[in-house]
Amino acid sequence: MQSSDTSPARESRISGWLACVATAALLSSAPMAHAADPSAQAIAPPPAPGPATGLADSAGLRATVFGAAPQSLAPMPNKVPLAEINISLPWARPVPDVFWFDRKLRVWFSAQAGPAPLAIVIAGTGSDGNTAKLSTLRGALFGAGYHVLTMPSPTFPGFIVSASSTGVAGDLMQDGRDLYAAMREIVAHLPRRVRITEIDVLGYSLGGANAAMVKAIDASQGKLKIHRVVMIDPPVSLFASIGRLDKLFAINVGSGDDAIERLYRSLYAELANLYRASDRVQLDEDFILGAAATVLKSDAEFSAAIALSFRIDLVNVFFAGDLYAGTGVVVDPKHPPKVGDSLEETQRRLRNMPFADYFTKVFAPFYLKQRPNATAASLIADSRLDIIGEALRNDPDYYAQSNSDDVILNAQELTWLEDTLGSRIAVYDHGGHLGNIGERQQVADMLQMLAGNWVGTAH
Amino acid sequence: MAAAGCASQSMSIHNVPAEHPAADNAAAVESAAAFAAAAATAAGEAGRPAQDTAEIPPPLTAADAPSMRTYDPWERMNRFTYRFNARFDEALYLRLSNAYRRVPAPIRSGVHNFFGNLSEVDSVVNYTLQWRLKLSARSLGRLLINTTIGIGGLFDAAARLKLPGAPTGFSSTLATWGMHPGPFLVIPFLGPSTLRDGIGFLGDYAASYGIDVAKLYRGNVSWGLDGLNAVDQRANINFRYYSTGSPFEYENVRFLYVRKRLIEDAGLRAKDSNARSTTQMENAAHEPAGK
Repeated sequence: MQSSDTSPARESRISGWLACVATAALLSSAPMAHAADPSAQAIAPPPAPGPATGLADSAGLRATVFGAAPQSLAPMPNKVPLAEINISLPWARPVPDVFWFDRKLRVWFSAQAGPAPLAIVIAGTGSDGNTAKLSTLRGALFGAGYHVLTMPSPTFPGFIVSASSTGVAGDLMQDGRDLYAAMREIVAHLPRRVRITEIDVLGYSLGGANAAMVKAIDASQGKLKIHRVVMIDPPVSLFASIGRLDKLFAINVGSGDDAIERLYRSLYAELANLYRASDRVQLDEDFILGAAATVLKSDAEFSAAIALSFRIDLVNVFFAGDLYAGTGVVVDPKHPPKVGDSLEETQRRLRNMPFADYFTKVFAPFYLKQRPNATAASLIADSRLDIIGEALRNDPDYYAQSNSDDVILNAQELTWLEDTLGSRIAVYDHGGHLGNIGERQQVADMLQMLAGNWVGTAH
Repeated sequence: MAAAGCASQSMSIHNVPAEHPAADNAAAVESAAAFAAAAATAAGEAGRPAQDTAEIPPPLTAADAPSMRTYDPWERMNRFTYRFNARFDEALYLRLSNAYRRVPAPIRSGVHNFFGNLSEVDSVVNYTLQWRLKLSARSLGRLLINTTIGIGGLFDAAARLKLPGAPTGFSSTLATWGMHPGPFLVIPFLGPSTLRDGIGFLGDYAASYGIDVAKLYRGNVSWGLDGLNAVDQRANINFRYYSTGSPFEYENVRFLYVRKRLIEDAGLRAKDSNARSTTQMENAAHEPAGK
């Protein structure tokens, strides 16, 4: 391993900014007309109460983008073995041509030599099963003696294609069922020499809510006998959190392609000027790491970076959902794109579409058809952790970590978490959203929670 | 590398290079300190007037940024080649490079330095063709130091003598001569490129072959060396096809690759000691990038 090139800490520090550059990916011109969809008129988008930045102050926004400072990281083991698992799931739907590479679900596994508990960790929105944050958690958990299995988010395109039974991601219960079924398949096929004493599930961001759902489902099905769950910075109302990110995008980036083009142009010029002033001969990761701190200055710029990185993920979810549901927003259901076809126009249109459009034009139409008794309001209600509120309140094996400056929460939601989990939640005064993953305190508390030794916020 | 494991048809499990989080964290702390120091130095320098302001062309503005669209007339072919490369990488190239990463790090870094040192020959030639004689001399100096003190190029002794590498190639020479990047081009086995970078690659290979340093390029060992060079290069690229899972990966890679190269071109022009300040970046605002 080229240690200096792939350090998780460094990756996490630059990931926000990279996402910002990757927006580039998002870019192009032609203003796009939002065609009014007659079927969508009846469905209102979910409300997103509170400020667009949630509870975050300036420090919270910065922590969200840069992640934990290297100096504050918990001690880690010297070496963590890693294996890659690719699995075909029997319930997978036919794979569309443009997703030929997502045929199998890919997860990562680190095995202890002897018998040990298995910690399954679920990534956040849109992320694959081997992110820098997962790598950090893997190190901490493996060092504490766990087998570690890291999984993508059910909103990751690779999961949607290989493991979703609907292709339309974002429903907490449906995603939880798909995740649970995938976990069962994987655990059942692990090599015999891997001896598992018990199973615990963790997740960060949306993955935290997914982890709690998985345990709730297991409580009735009992196939995995999941013991404890730790939710790291979970949302309380998924759609409200995402709605606020829509607002954040509208405020700090703008709407329409002109806004994205403006942002791209100013980023390009800033980066080019920094590069010209440097003595480098290659635009590499090191340079970008150095540039990140210089290019992003104001709260608005950090907000834009956060909103953009979310939008990049949303584009994929939207595309896959539209394709599978046959809702025809950007993909013609009768003529789906093939490998050689350009997707630039499709991407350009999608990057201008907020989550509200996904909800009203793809998600709600699809699930309302599937569930005759559902309404738009009930779908929104089902995106809240309340649906397992009883279990969260009464089952002593659910734990959570949260930050009082989290971007994705508002004050009521944090209060709800604290009221519901009581002494089983740790709330830190810094970190923004996920910006303290890997810090000494976060790791120590997480391990105590998993071991059932957590005694509350005594520190 | 295909470790013992599950034999089930539906699930495969194979080992990949282990992670070393303790060392990674230590490296992160070190590099954070280095960046803090560099930032402090830069802030200090920014305070006093630069001596050579006259030579630095005016900063780019947002209007100088190339269009968000990329010139890609061969898109259909490129997309199929991209898929071919992704499959080749999964089936063979990435596996070889993962296996190679089990070789102890000091040996791998020796191999990497060895090939880097050989490429200095090409850099000397191309900096000369670009009439960047200072840089040409720097590459020549590095070549001499690393071949002798660095024991045949196994150690980058020159970098420790404050003479870090600044590789260049025929593509940069073509850029200096005024050639635009041209259409985006995905080259079989090699990956994303542009027409100019593709020609540059052929030129670099031809130069190496023509000069044939120490008979390494035409002798009996050349195939093995080329293979090792390819594996070494792959092992040093932190990229995996479709790890984003995104159907838009082709668009994203194309966008980032072409803009990275355009910024590098702009940087090269700005570094010219005989600052021809008129050759600053053409205003490509209304033209697709790369054209």
